Amino acid sequence: MTNRHLALTATAALLFMLATATTAAPPAPEAAYTAMSPEELADYLIFEAGGFDLDAQTQDGGTARERMTQDRTQKVCSAIARSGKDLDRATAAKISALADDSIEYPDGGVELGDWKRGEEIARSGYGYRIGHRVDDHDSRTPGGNCYACHQLDPNEIAYGTVGPSLTGYGRLRGASDAMLKHTYQILYNPNLFFPCTTMPRFGHHGTLTQAQIADVMAYLLDPESPVNQEPPKTADAEQAAAD
Amino acid sequence: MPRRSALAAGMAATLTLPVLAGDLRAPEDVLQTLIDDNESAYLTQSEQNIMMMPDNAALWTAEEGKELFFEARGPNNESLETCDLGKGPGVVDGAYVELPRFFEDTGRVMDLESRLVYCMTSIQGFAPDDPEVKQRHGSDSDMMKLQTFIASRSSGLPWNPPMDHPLEQAMRDAGEVLFYRRAGTSDFSCSTCHTNTGNRIRASVLPSINQPHEWTKAISWPAFRVGHQQVRSSNHRIRGCYWQMRQPQSIPGSEAAIALMSFWTDAARGAPAILPDKKR
Ligand code: HEC
Ligand code: HEC
Repeated sequence: MTNRHLALTATAALLFMLATATTAAPPAPEAAYTAMSPEELADYLIFEAGGFDLDAQTQDGGTARERMTQDRTQKVCSAIARSGKDLDRATAAKISALADDSIEYPDGGVELGDWKRGEEIARSGYGYRIGHRVDDHDSRTPGGNCYACHQLDPNEIAYGTVGPSLTGYGRLRGASDAMLKHTYQILYNPNLFFPCTTMPRFGHHGTLTQAQIADVMAYLLDPESPVNQEPPKTADAEQAAAD
Repeated sequence: MPRRSALAAGMAATLTLPVLAGDLRAPEDVLQTLIDDNESAYLTQSEQNIMMMPDNAALWTAEEGKELFFEARGPNNESLETCDLGKGPGVVDGAYVELPRFFEDTGRVMDLESRLVYCMTSIQGFAPDDPEVKQRHGSDSDMMKLQTFIASRSSGLPWNPPMDHPLEQAMRDAGEVLFYRRAGTSDFSCSTCHTNTGNRIRASVLPSINQPHEWTKAISWPAFRVGHQQVRSSNHRIRGCYWQMRQPQSIPGSEAAIALMSFWTDAARGAPAILPDKKR
């Protein structure tokens, strides 16, 4: 810790004690706040100044405080996004390497699961929400919320566009071992191929289990999956809509 | 011109329409101008909501808030006419588009909600735990009524939060960090969903913080949320988006919430406010 850091933490702690010790208007935070960098102030407001309910329990057995604590990838990618600059090569390589290190592969090799279960996972946005309404994982399995960002089944109209369309994913790319591994890696930690992507790291965070990843992969790659059916001809679609 | 329902006609009578004088403009007119001048899937996504703007139930909430504002209440039996919302005691018109701002008397940057809490406790003598102060959500709460009234008296005015005081700038900059700050089990930040125009999450078209004509509608709270059948506040929206992000519950009135609002209001600078608004 630098001296400046120490002094800041001390001032901040003093302010916080004063603020909680008295019911009168809290002391002016001007000196402390303006001495901090925007990042330091943001962290102070989150962790020291009562910005969030940090003591709440989370589904993964931790506290809300841990949820709010950034790892290296999150920290670096946040700063890049805020700067508005493109990711430089060196940083991209670092983020990608962190992702590579994080990936654990299934013992028996990467295999496809059941596309029907995978479809449920892709459609469900349930899970991991905390605060005024807490998702109860005992009553409902968390999903992957793929439709929030991706088009998948060509017949589904309520799909997001934050990510690219995955319609025809397996039909267009096949289901070779290399493709299976590639897709597994994306679902485990997409930063490997897309450093600082907005897509969540499902495997890395454990928000999807290996079995769930296998099921979602089947939804993407199994020739039987709706994702890989030819889109309906426009005339058929119109007829279907009219029926 | 959209057909006015009996409700709207009745309201026109009780709402004393001449109050929309000066530079204030009816929210439906502000929205229509933005739609006419810009190409935006977000602004036009609900034709029905646009048509029903003149029948916005939040207009009633504003009217109730106006009565509350001028009524002598609380242990001190005072009205809020001496409450300084930033433009001098009792000045309501145009106050909201200049919030959050720094207040000498508290030495802090405050948003509308925290300023109202301050006035209700210091002027009217309410305790922070009294229901008048404590209940923050729902069209029936005093807080939503007062906020909706005060905000409606800025409709059509350009967002213009002051940045002269060092604390105003510091809070805005910290709010920017919060907006881009990724955390949690989904690696989300506000910027994941709100930095590109025309993107959808599922079927909802997302507003972009980089497009002031979209962002002004996004931050125009209080708004009647059709899906909730309630008037909602900025703090309620922040809580909802942190919930979607799988991150901890945001505390209304906290410096973090105020910093976020300082940044999001600065991002809409110059675009006209739509108040009260109607949202999905
Ligand atoms: C928050 C939005 C978001 C969610 C949720 C999301 N993704 Fe993605 N996904 C993206 C983005 C954005 C990309 C593009 C990568 C990039 O350039 O950043 C992507 C890329 C992909 C790719 C690679 C596409 C290609 O062309 O190689 C696959 C496969 C994929 N996602 C599958 C999924 C699946 C399956 C789920 C659900 C378990 C999911 N995604 C959930 C945003 C999301
Ligand atoms: C996972 C995507 C996602 C993230 C992350 C997210 N939001 Fe939102 N936000 C939404 C959706 C969806 C809506 C509703 C838009 C609609 O109905 O058209 C919304 C609405 C809003 C609105 C009001 C616009 C309206 O029309 O209702 C504001 C303001 C807003 N968000 C701010 C934020 C802030 C601040 C954060 C970070 C604390 C954030 N959002 C994080 C998805 C997101």
